[in-house]
Amino acid sequence: MFKTFFLSELKYTLKQPMVYIFIFILALMEFFATVSDNVQVGGAIGNVYRNSPYTITIHVTIFCIFSLLMAVAFFNNAALRDHNNEFNEILFTTPLSKPGYFFGRFFGALFVSTLPLLGVFIGMLLGTYMNSIFGWLDTSRYGDFYLETFINNYLLFILPNMFLAGTVIFAMANKWKSTVISFVGGLVIIVAYIVSGSLMSDVDNETIAGLTDIFGINTYAIETKYFTPAEKNTISPGFSGILFWNRLIWISVGLIILMISYFSFSFKKKNQKIKKEKVKASTGDTVFSLPSLNPSFSNATNWVQFKSFFYTNFLSIVKSVTFKILFLFCIIILVADLSGGFEYFGLQSYPLTYKLIDSIKDNTDIFIIIIVVFFSGELIWRDRDYKINEVIDATAHTSFISMAAKALSLVCIASILNIFFLFIGVVYQLLHGFTRIEIDVYLLDFFYDNLPLFIAFGGITILIQVLASNKYIGYFISILVLLVWEIVLSIMDLNSNMLDVGGGPSTYYSDMNRFGPGVKGALWFNLYWALFAVLGLLVAGALWNRGSKSSLLSRFKTARKEVPKSYRSVIVVALIAWLGVASFVYYNSQVLNPYRSSDTTEQLMAEFEKKYSKYKDAEHPKVTDAKYYIDIFPNKRDIHVKADIALTNESDVAIDSLHFFNGEGWDTKLNIPNAKSVYKDSIYLYTIYKLSPALQPGETIVVKLDNKYITNGFQNGTGNTMIVKNGTFFNNREILPTMGYNEAYEIGDKNTRKKYGLEPKERTPKLSTELNELHNRNYLNNGQSDFINVETVISTIKSQTAIAPGSLIKKWEENDRRYYHYKTDTPSLNFYAFMSADYEIKTRKWNGIDIEVYYDEKHPENVDMMLDAVERSLAYYTENFGPYFHKQCRIIEFPRYASFAQAFPGTMPYSEAIGFVINLEDETGNNVVDAVIAHEMGHQWWAHQVIGANMQGGTMMSESFSEYSSLMTIKNITENPMKMREFLKYDHDRYLRGRSGEREKELPLYKVEDQGYIHYGKGSLILYALQDYIGEDKVNLAMKNFLEEYRYKKPPYPTSLDFLRHLEPQVPDSLNYLINDWFKEITLYDNRLKEANYKTLDNGKYEVTLEIESSKIKSDSLGNETQTAINDWIDVGFFMDDAEERLYSQKRVKFNKEKSSITMQLDSLPVKAAIDPRHLLIDRVYNDNIRSISLEE
Amino acid sequence: MSTLKINNLSKTYANGVKALDNVSLELENGMFGLLGPNGAGKSSLMRTLATLQEADSGTATLDDIDILNQPAELRKVLGYLPQEFGVYPRITAEQLLTHLAILKGITNKSERKELVNYLLDKVNLYEKRNKSVKGFSGGMKQRVGIAQALIGNPNLIIVDEPTAGLDPGERNRFYNLLADVGKDVIVILSTHIVDDVRELCTKMAIMNLGEIVYHGSPQSAIEDLNSKVFKKIVSRDELQNYANDYKVISNKMVGGQPLIHVFSEAHPQNGFEPVAPGLEDVFFSKINTSNVLV
Repeated sequence: MFKTFFLSELKYTLKQPMVYIFIFILALMEFFATVSDNVQVGGAIGNVYRNSPYTITIHVTIFCIFSLLMAVAFFNNAALRDHNNEFNEILFTTPLSKPGYFFGRFFGALFVSTLPLLGVFIGMLLGTYMNSIFGWLDTSRYGDFYLETFINNYLLFILPNMFLAGTVIFAMANKWKSTVISFVGGLVIIVAYIVSGSLMSDVDNETIAGLTDIFGINTYAIETKYFTPAEKNTISPGFSGILFWNRLIWISVGLIILMISYFSFSFKKKNQKIKKEKVKASTGDTVFSLPSLNPSFSNATNWVQFKSFFYTNFLSIVKSVTFKILFLFCIIILVADLSGGFEYFGLQSYPLTYKLIDSIKDNTDIFIIIIVVFFSGELIWRDRDYKINEVIDATAHTSFISMAAKALSLVCIASILNIFFLFIGVVYQLLHGFTRIEIDVYLLDFFYDNLPLFIAFGGITILIQVLASNKYIGYFISILVLLVWEIVLSIMDLNSNMLDVGGGPSTYYSDMNRFGPGVKGALWFNLYWALFAVLGLLVAGALWNRGSKSSLLSRFKTARKEVPKSYRSVIVVALIAWLGVASFVYYNSQVLNPYRSSDTTEQLMAEFEKKYSKYKDAEHPKVTDAKYYIDIFPNKRDIHVKADIALTNESDVAIDSLHFFNGEGWDTKLNIPNAKSVYKDSIYLYTIYKLSPALQPGETIVVKLDNKYITNGFQNGTGNTMIVKNGTFFNNREILPTMGYNEAYEIGDKNTRKKYGLEPKERTPKLSTELNELHNRNYLNNGQSDFINVETVISTIKSQTAIAPGSLIKKWEENDRRYYHYKTDTPSLNFYAFMSADYEIKTRKWNGIDIEVYYDEKHPENVDMMLDAVERSLAYYTENFGPYFHKQCRIIEFPRYASFAQAFPGTMPYSEAIGFVINLEDETGNNVVDAVIAHEMGHQWWAHQVIGANMQGGTMMSESFSEYSSLMTIKNITENPMKMREFLKYDHDRYLRGRSGEREKELPLYKVEDQGYIHYGKGSLILYALQDYIGEDKVNLAMKNFLEEYRYKKPPYPTSLDFLRHLEPQVPDSLNYLINDWFKEITLYDNRLKEANYKTLDNGKYEVTLEIESSKIKSDSLGNETQTAINDWIDVGFFMDDAEERLYSQKRVKFNKEKSSITMQLDSLPVKAAIDPRHLLIDRVYNDNIRSISLEE
Repeated sequence: MSTLKINNLSKTYANGVKALDNVSLELENGMFGLLGPNGAGKSSLMRTLATLQEADSGTATLDDIDILNQPAELRKVLGYLPQEFGVYPRITAEQLLTHLAILKGITNKSERKELVNYLLDKVNLYEKRNKSVKGFSGGMKQRVGIAQALIGNPNLIIVDEPTAGLDPGERNRFYNLLADVGKDVIVILSTHIVDDVRELCTKMAIMNLGEIVYHGSPQSAIEDLNSKVFKKIVSRDELQNYANDYKVISNKMVGGQPLIHVFSEAHPQNGFEPVAPGLEDVFFSKINTSNVLV
């Protein structure tokens, strides 16, 4: 019986085209994901093979979500086919077996629903094979296939996921016998997946997140997060670890659901509930008479009809079950997301209005779009579905009235939902005791961003449904237009928001600068789309299928005959209005402010390199002095810059030509004495001046620069966020033309370079011991300048403060503007910021140094702590590294268009997003906000006093050192060493994740190539561990000696080897191996505590025996590992509590074999034992380093 | 007095079916019955007159309204009950009628309320006005349909198979209602139930295969057949022979034996008895011209 139904299910489905279409679609998508860089599934691939087991698995897991909707179709069909064909009464009266029928159908559908995902394999295999023939992409980016990958993917992801989804859908279909409810079931599963995914935001929750993910997608991500490229290329997902447990759990859940469904399944029809009719007293003998009627058909009638249409449509949505369910889901998802708060490195951000707005958008937008699409079909086809269409159609109303009412009810539903979510946001803020609730921001954002989208989507989906010949085709086209179209545009490299339905500049909100530079453009784009929607509705009104169903063509004919003149003229007016707005938007976004697509930019970069790299080695003078006269016009978003730049020939040859590469968007005029321009390239803004006479060695000329940045109209995108109404922030690189050919503009990615026929390029020049030209350039200014004096006169509007580097010499008002005159106190790196905003200022004096925090009036909360942090840094650094040469330390807030902090000489711009809005009320000093300040303060020594040559290892002496310095200031105020482990956890994670995502090659620390995960993550870990091993004073002394040798010195600049030269004398011989292991090689540890037992001794003490496995692993640049003999000092220690906060009896032990047994006598009995209890060493799996101690048997 | 003139109306569907074949009719106030078997083209004609379907050729005018080219004008004076009348779920009878009244131009709120109550009372649904229409029985829904067709001051009321699903009592009420309004306006009643026409209509037409095969009053149609219809109970085996030899209008089972009616100018003898012709005989004689057993 089972076999009969199983096979009949297969036979039936395999005869239908659906399954083949699904296979084809997935194969096609995977094919392009395999052979094109433009199509990405689940993120960029980078250094991993395009067909690696890792890539295949990621793709399969993601396509699993896609194919859920396909699964709904199969399972729903299997459950309801007999019912829908009304064959059930015949079938169920035959003596068939229940298990045979139920499970036969179920497993038949299960098997079929796994088939589409095989399309992924087909696409991958075909793509790889075709690529090997046609060579679209470099064949070296493909590796071997492993049969295991396919089998394990099928057994670990495809089959279990379809099984779990299937049980839910099959159960729901059997229970409610409604296709709509089954699709809702599909949505429930997706929601469950999203909710379980939202748990993954912090490192601590990983195991829980890994187990709760119903599809195992995050589980796989967690399992592989520290995978090196080599591992990703060879290791298939396997039946072990949390992935295995996750799969077991969810298969069991599926089985339970299936069993429940089976036992509640019955062939008998359920007794339909019959509502008892309430007997109501008759209302008496009311006599009704036909009133005299005055039907009227005027404009007023149109309005009344519109209202009535709107009311009935709106009501039908609100009352529908689908709507209620979707609405409930939105709330669940939103609340689930909000319950996690706004986490930032273990801290919580204040629940600012814009954070809630973002969260609401991220979580509910897709549902609102689904609701709009779904109900556009419902509303348009409702009359026909309920067979009332002929009555409605035969009444005297204009079709447009009905269309407009439908569209408006969609817009209203979407808006009401949105506003309801905003209300949840407000409640959330209040519950968290946050009272700066900005209702205006909520509403304006709704008006700028959401409402226009709803209007555009509402109008367009209505039009689509009217044109479509049935509801499902309408849905299909709507999804294509609203979701797939965007992908198509990006593949075709078209970026115009005029093509992207509902598109426009972003109005990303910042507390400082409110809705920012995109508002004007956004409003125009909104108008453009709103008019488009109106036009769509007018057309829909004309082509509405009134009466019997007829083809689009015949509807056109009818419309030509029937549509009255007045209606036509309305269409024409709307069309003219739309075209008018469209041309205005086009003019602004394409003509006035042209932009380039990413492909064009890439192409230009390639051509630029081909054309001008011949000037790479041209000698150019250095900037030796700079005076700026800057006028900032925040409201117009303009900047006028005049500058006198002194250029000195510090080489030993005469220089007869100057090369300049102007900044884009700037109107640049250069006045160079004794020079005339001999070459001008207006595309690349590349100009060559001939100097006559040539600039002799040691000679200086002063170039006068007149540079203007003028903002005109609005742009396709947000526009630059550098010059804004409140929070202007730009640096000298943006206003000065680049001198000479700059290699930074070359394409870096090796695969892209290959595409344009460019030779592979070194990411960073090789570390070299022998002095050469490279040592004359530091990695920041690349030989354009060394340490110079800067003087600035900067002006801004009266309500703002303008800041430039150095001490404020004079401040005055003139022409209703504020002027400031700044001058540096010591020669500094030619790299500094200019800023202007409406600031509050808080200051403090420390040993003659002004500590100043410039902040927005909305963010006073953390300012005092920031002052403390600066003070602490100054104290530690001046004591350990040497004097501070500026007279001020400025922390300056800038809008959240970027979230970083940066160190310029004496000034440190700090994004509002990361320091100012974090809730530190309950924190005690040891936090990331302080750490960031201490890091930037560290740069005042490490980068601004000494900076590495432009070669491998250069960033170690600035980034790693600053990060280390920052850790030291925190360590100094941290009483419990275990707190530092909490803090270092993020660095471990950053390093291990970073190396897993490396696109080219991992390098040892001393050869770091500007790789964040190495110079921040690994660098801080290693220096921190080093000071623990050899002593804080030793490390600091080495750094100080190094600093003293190179501080503010002219070239040659130091390299990482110069630092190691200073470090070596500080390291005792017994630990000399550390320099090699930690700095010069990639070393990982794999320590495990296998057993920890104790027994009580007669003297009342405890003897604890630890069985430890310890190995040291060396990795090459791609992550291929080799185990090496261990001969290392590693800590062993105990915890007196479960939470691992009270460290007890720690001891450093030398391990020289893989398995060791250690016995120690202790006075008290600890709860846990650990190897490397403070997590100093880099160990991919740290959990197994700690064990609870048990009594020896 | 209104006049509906239909001239040479033709419509062929994409699949080749001739739904309307040169249909011409002229109607004035009063009830007009349109008889025909299923698929005769009645609904096509009705829908065309109700502006819901295009015709390939021909014209139709109601007084000075050109129905095919001024559909919006016609809709202002039209009451229409289609063959299949459904309702929105989750909406009450009162809400539905109010909505439709608005669509038919009853913009005055109190007028509308009074009208809806009046109609609900007329179709005996006043007590149930706040009930969701979805839960109504087929007959109740049909009554709602009838009520909506009467909204406004229609000059032309088209009802397509209105009595399907009504019990005899409801049917009577409906006919009374129709007769009430039918005095002053044109009512076209399409049906395949002969009795409906006999009871209600003064004028009628019979349609078959898209053509009007008869147009006149029911009475004169019956008179035309006077003493030309004969009946006989025959055995089942002989049925085919009779069909070959006589113009059999109809056959139906009476007590397990086929009773046939034949058309003949003279008495066919052979055991046939004369019978007083009914409208049913008219109907069958008009549509069963090919002499096949129906």
